[in-house]
Amino acid sequence: MTLRGVKWRKLFRAVHRDLGYVAVALVLAYGLSGLAVNHIEDWNPNYSYDERAVAIGPLAGSLAEQEAQVIAKLGIPRAAVRGHFQESANDLRVFLVEGQEVRVDPQTGRGTHKGLAKRAVLFEVNALHLNNLKGIWTYVADVFAVALIVLALTGIVMMKGDRGLAGRGKWFVGAGLLVPVGFIIYMYS
Amino acid sequence: MTLRTLLLLGALAVPALTACDKGPSKSEAATTTAAATGLTLGGGVKLKESVAIAALLADPMKLNGKTIRVEGMITDVCPKRGCWMQLAGSQPGQKLKFKVTDGEMVFPMESKGKWAVAEGVVAAREMTVEETKAAAEYEAKEYGIKYDPASITQPKVAVRIDGTGAVIRDKQ
Repeated sequence: MTLRGVKWRKLFRAVHRDLGYVAVALVLAYGLSGLAVNHIEDWNPNYSYDERAVAIGPLAGSLAEQEAQVIAKLGIPRAAVRGHFQESANDLRVFLVEGQEVRVDPQTGRGTHKGLAKRAVLFEVNALHLNNLKGIWTYVADVFAVALIVLALTGIVMMKGDRGLAGRGKWFVGAGLLVPVGFIIYMYS
Repeated sequence: MTLRTLLLLGALAVPALTACDKGPSKSEAATTTAAATGLTLGGGVKLKESVAIAALLADPMKLNGKTIRVEGMITDVCPKRGCWMQLAGSQPGQKLKFKVTDGEMVFPMESKGKWAVAEGVVAAREMTVEETKAAAEYEAKEYGIKYDPASITQPKVAVRIDGTGAVIRDKQ
């Protein structure tokens, strides 16, 4: 395909190839995050929890004194404590650093010690994918979105003949189009 | 235009676009930490005076629709998207929900126990007993909270703050 002496198909192949190299890291990151957040109803894609039962015996005194007893009995350093909150007469919550929490019934001393940890890699790629960073990242993501459009368009026109869009390509493009179109029809039916 | 020229133009375009950023600066961005004031989210906090959570909850219809500032210890954070947080009032069990549109601000899960100063519009609505039960059942199912339908016998006024900005810091 030449127009005014420019070999367009060759140019599209080169753009598709080199833009693909540039975009590969973000395509993988967004794809991984897409899988993770797509199932947000079934799991937390950013954090994992660790919960263990505790039995520290009945607590007495003011809330501050009860908080002090909780951390003393569990061997938690004072510096790790952020504060406490009385949810109800039988539910005392002691908040610790890094999102940890001890929750006990002061009458019985039974409860849980809940830990929280960021999911390595997933937390970071989700922050990029969901644009939690805002600011300049919004524009980087815009450039990436344009790059994906360019990759798609150059991808469908870079081959000619039987393997091109006019050949079997049109059937693959059609099949790929049918899936979302089918779901949109289903959505409005 | 040669391929080399195209690639050169492309390479120049990325830093040029980012340099033209008219969005919030790093210190103003949604999840940026500012050491002196804490983590600033959304539009931050502009009002000077806070309304006590206990006072708001005592008569929420009085402030309905008004933009106010509140502050308190964070007791809970939306475990799925970080789109809401609960702030403790001065009384046992007293909490106020601070809600934002998903993705507009993201409250970190590890914020529990920290102190939040938050600003937004009061959204209060008188519910029927059935609506109160339905709301409690939804929250229980969505966030794995214990729920006993028999415990709800009176209608409740649903009150929350539709947030515009917040600052989260380690201590009060």
